[in-house]
Amino acid sequence: MKDILASLPGLNDKYSMFSCIAEDADLGDSKFLFSAEDGLTSKDMMTRCGSKMLDGHRPVFDAAAIEKMRAAGGKLIGKCNMDEFGFGSFGTNSAYGIPKNPFDLERSCGGSAGGSACAAAAIDGHVSLGASTGGSICCPASFCGVYGLVPTYGRVSRYGLVDCGNSLDKVGLISSDPELLARFLPVISGKDPREPTSCAQPELELKGERIGSVGVPEEQLEGVSKDVLSCFESSLDVLRGMGVEVKMIKMPSLKYALSTCFIISAAESSTNLASFVGMRYGQQEGDLSMRFDDYFTYFRTKYIGEEARQRILYGTYIRMAGLRERYYVKALRVRLHIIESYKKAFAEHDAILTPTMPFVSPKFEEIAKMTSDESYGIDRLACPPDVAGMPHISVPCGYDGSGMPIGMQLVTDHWKEDPLITFAKDWGKAFDVRRPEVSL
Amino acid sequence: MDRMIMERVAKAAHFALNEEEIERYCKDFDELFNRLNMIDGAPEGEGHGVNPLEVGDVLRDDVPGIFFDPYELLKDMKTYENYVRGPRVL
Repeated sequence: MKDILASLPGLNDKYSMFSCIAEDADLGDSKFLFSAEDGLTSKDMMTRCGSKMLDGHRPVFDAAAIEKMRAAGGKLIGKCNMDEFGFGSFGTNSAYGIPKNPFDLERSCGGSAGGSACAAAAIDGHVSLGASTGGSICCPASFCGVYGLVPTYGRVSRYGLVDCGNSLDKVGLISSDPELLARFLPVISGKDPREPTSCAQPELELKGERIGSVGVPEEQLEGVSKDVLSCFESSLDVLRGMGVEVKMIKMPSLKYALSTCFIISAAESSTNLASFVGMRYGQQEGDLSMRFDDYFTYFRTKYIGEEARQRILYGTYIRMAGLRERYYVKALRVRLHIIESYKKAFAEHDAILTPTMPFVSPKFEEIAKMTSDESYGIDRLACPPDVAGMPHISVPCGYDGSGMPIGMQLVTDHWKEDPLITFAKDWGKAFDVRRPEVSL
Repeated sequence: MDRMIMERVAKAAHFALNEEEIERYCKDFDELFNRLNMIDGAPEGEGHGVNPLEVGDVLRDDVPGIFFDPYELLKDMKTYENYVRGPRVL
């Protein structure tokens, strides 16, 4: 562990996975090292959510997930770079550096938890905490060739997570080792009276339940790149070899998930982020003789980045009188339909399986040239289970001709994390997961 | 998107937009909402809820306590006599 701590500055110079590294190199009684996305509060390191708005913000408390990891003997080694307030799919919207993919430094780690996936891929035996609103853990896990687990909504307390879309946000885990997901999910799970959505959960039991059948929604394979499709189909053969029944199914409701996710997250984040106005947190250097509207506008215009600003504007519009019913309330009702569709599918199959992302991690120069249509649709495969609050996992399932990782995503019914964890462990034995060559 | 509405949205969200930004956002809004409008005809589920799962009421005993040291909370804020200072309201 000492070697890893000593290598962090060099690693970060090369990959920019951390916005902040532990200053204290003393391991004390620590049993393991972990990192956390910068949207989770930490009392010994700044919490800035990738935003200039929160520069200098040092919370006085740890997020529940960080608190529990420390209590289990973990040492927090760094806060991971993320898209500002979670808005982005490529990790390029951070004010504190853009994480670079350990498989190819010219490519993205994905987003928004790009720094967490980068750390999980680059550091041996590492586990990182991430947060997911609409594909933010599985997208980077797929791009970086690691395992990304998003538990059921409410399984892990969101206390101390800077909310983006509060009815969508979940805290999860990213690691190159599925055994670490099994080890740490019970650590971070559980009821927390400080966060009521965590209090309705049944007890987490990891008893080795296996997935016997998967349904593959045909519609979700449309528009997927040749490389991804080819690896995915090979993975279906591996699954059959493992004794898993694979059946093509139809789930037309999933086509509404992306719009539903966008509307709910924009509406909710536009209110949640309204508290960042140059008072109490982060930047506060303004002239207090200004009228409050002007003061707030000065800070938000100066310090909130382009993508976050756009999403907040969209959300503010969606919540306007006369439009709230049409967009936000409608999206909540469509979400219920999507949940019902999943439940119907789970009556016949243990899990739903799709590729995680429609293509491998793009190069930064390709991202810069993407049309709004292309960048809008990128999370269409990763976000449906996030909308439904269902547990899901991205596992590496292949590599394209350039050696870039490809992932597939399994979804199970609410509170059924056990089969996902068991599957990841079995898959880790059946599939040859490659690690990037990390040198300093 | 009407530019008057865009100005109202920006004012409500506390952002100052210049002419170029207003024009650009109007165009972006049109493109985006053309996509989002696809949910108009989407089927709806039974019931109504803000969360994807049932969230029960959690009642705590009404016991007074201090969660954090108030002076710790105030140390990074602009204060006057231990009150948070803010801009003019009137």
